[in-house]
Amino acid sequence: MSTNTNKRIVIFLISIITFLIISKFLFSALRENTIYFFSPTEVSDLIKLPNKKIRIGGMVKKDSINEENKKYNFIITDFNKEISVTYSGILPNLFVEGQGAVVEGNLISRKTFVGTKILAKHDENYMPKEVADSLKKIGNFKRK
Amino acid sequence: MNNIIGNSLVLLSLMTSLSTSFLFFKKNYSHYLKTYIASCIFCFFSFIFLIYCFVISDFYVSAVYQNSHTTKPLIYKIAGSWGNHEGSMLLFICIIALYGFAFCYFSKNFDNKFKYLTVFFQNNLTMIFLIYLFFLSNPFDYVSSDPTQGLGLNPILQDPLLLIHPPFLYFGYIGFSLILSLVLSGLINNSFDSVWAKLSKKWVIISWIFLTIGILLGSIWAYYELGWGGYWFWDPVENASLMPWILSVALIHSLLIMERSNTFKSWTALLAISTFALSLFGTFLVRSGILNSVHTFANDPERGLFILGIIILIIFFSLAIYIFKSDFVEKKNNIMFLSKENFLVFNNLFLILFLIIVIIGTVYPIVLSAVANQNISVGPFYYNTILAPFVFIFLFLMGTGPLMKWYKNDFNAKKNLIISIGLISCILALIISYFSSETNIIYILGLIFSFYLIVATIFELFSSKNQFNFKQYLSKNLSHLGFGLLILSITLNSFFSKEYNFMINVNDKYVSDDLEITFEEFNISKDINFDQFSTIFKIKTNDKSFTLSPSIRKYNQPEQLTSEISIKNTLLKDFYLAINYSSIGNKRLIGARYYENFFILGIWISSLIIVLGGLSRLFIRK
Repeated sequence: MSTNTNKRIVIFLISIITFLIISKFLFSALRENTIYFFSPTEVSDLIKLPNKKIRIGGMVKKDSINEENKKYNFIITDFNKEISVTYSGILPNLFVEGQGAVVEGNLISRKTFVGTKILAKHDENYMPKEVADSLKKIGNFKRK
Repeated sequence: MNNIIGNSLVLLSLMTSLSTSFLFFKKNYSHYLKTYIASCIFCFFSFIFLIYCFVISDFYVSAVYQNSHTTKPLIYKIAGSWGNHEGSMLLFICIIALYGFAFCYFSKNFDNKFKYLTVFFQNNLTMIFLIYLFFLSNPFDYVSSDPTQGLGLNPILQDPLLLIHPPFLYFGYIGFSLILSLVLSGLINNSFDSVWAKLSKKWVIISWIFLTIGILLGSIWAYYELGWGGYWFWDPVENASLMPWILSVALIHSLLIMERSNTFKSWTALLAISTFALSLFGTFLVRSGILNSVHTFANDPERGLFILGIIILIIFFSLAIYIFKSDFVEKKNNIMFLSKENFLVFNNLFLILFLIIVIIGTVYPIVLSAVANQNISVGPFYYNTILAPFVFIFLFLMGTGPLMKWYKNDFNAKKNLIISIGLISCILALIISYFSSETNIIYILGLIFSFYLIVATIFELFSSKNQFNFKQYLSKNLSHLGFGLLILSITLNSFFSKEYNFMINVNDKYVSDDLEITFEEFNISKDINFDQFSTIFKIKTNDKSFTLSPSIRKYNQPEQLTSEISIKNTLLKDFYLAINYSSIGNKRLIGARYYENFFILGIWISSLIIVLGGLSRLFIRK
């Protein structure tokens, strides 16, 4: 075998190994850092509660918000199932009763959620995209 | 009336554009360029006319009706003309035409056949998008409901930066349309060689400069206007602009090899095609409503599909030409392993890796939501952890590559130099780490590698043998220096910045460590198109005491709340305060986000140095 062929085989093997290592690295980082989104209905259908941070979203139920000692309690609903949320951070400008919201945090049970962050990115219709999608899924979506 | 004028201008542009292509097929070149220029000029006029409609608030014009309001300040009436899908599409087309127009005047060094071909491709791009605009997204549509008032512009978009941020990005993205045309005509004309690379490089650099400034402006906008408290969030919208940027940097470097040794041609052609494809893809992603952001205009799936169709068509044709015409006989070169060429190849490999990382993080959630109907988002931690180690190696290669010689293996001769630069940067990093009393390994590595690039580049700047040498490498040195400083600032920023979130009542105090924030007073005032709730906070840290006065605006048309932040800048760090107000519970309870952001100024300045590098290439003659 000529040295040239040998060299090529070595280069080929090195690239394959590098490729495998990088993809392993990449996908484990991706898996660790993905945050799943659930609607209240999907949460109630979960077989096992996720033990990492998730996002839930839906409409903030009318007259459900109350504040006590700088801590908020409110209910997220998709007009089918409800989840009650406790949250002690800042409410964003766009967080209003009767409109859509996405909350990041941890599930305590299928009915209770501790929020650590409320996401305030909306489109012009005050409806986060994930919420619009999940409402469409169960047929409770109305465009204003 | 104005609808008719606007529509006729668009139609005239479309007609002249069609005749340009017709003349090309008939090989009648005597009036070919003139017809093309006429089509460009009609295009410019239709956009200027749209601005005019916005200025006079003619609400019979649909784009004006949907996005303007008589109470809006004049400057935002003008900006409103590209703050919506239809208007921004017209601007998009205008810029394609503008690049073609500029090419006609600044292409004396190309031969005529090549020039005609390039204009032909550029013209076809204008034409496709004009057809789309006229039939599916016409800003001059007639509003029949006898409107007396418009619907208003999204208040978040009412900012001076909106005047320039989107146009800069568009000039960047669309600049690559001209590169695509140049590549395709080079391939067909069989003149895709080192001379081509030399003549085309300046167009790549122009687009790259615009794109860089556009991204920088977007980052500044998020920091100062949107009140996000940071400069980069790995938001899919930001990634969409970063992807073509990464490829354009790779393209600039592969053009260097092509110019030097007339090799690497297929790769360069592929990079050029992909850069424009990613620019289009980015625009599509951002505008189509797939992503949720302030940038999203169109929520009409039919339009999204049509644009996707156009993109696929353009990519398909470009790749077809590429496949049939790129069978270059590349001469065998015995390039030594550690030559400058190979370092440029490494550069390209790393940039492609960065691109793949960003694409996976951006596209994976979209694919998953389409295929598995599951919504996920990828956190910034993914990008930071995975990019950091590769960026460090990249910085080392960036510092070392330019020290090497073309073609030859010069590593042994430069070994001592490389080791001493390495030592200097280690010492610098350790000094800083000692004084900042932070010993995180990633932090120290970040310091070492960014200093390595900075020191190596400064060494190169001052060791150039003569004036000629200095000028020849000035632009490269500036851009590399800027990149080193950028990574240094980002490293320092990410390890020292602090964030405090708290709820506060008027006259209350928030205390944490040696920080004391007092909410002193608030008052409510009225402006033309918004009500303002302004506040005064007193901040006490270690030795300093100052006031910050963030506010909340309630826009009335359309009704929306926005936060106006307040910042005290110092050389080292920004004191940044944003407030939120929720009409729930206690009426005076304000949510406050207080940040101490380090080296933000360094991030802006180093990005400007990167841009300056590009500019110096254009304006300094070798």
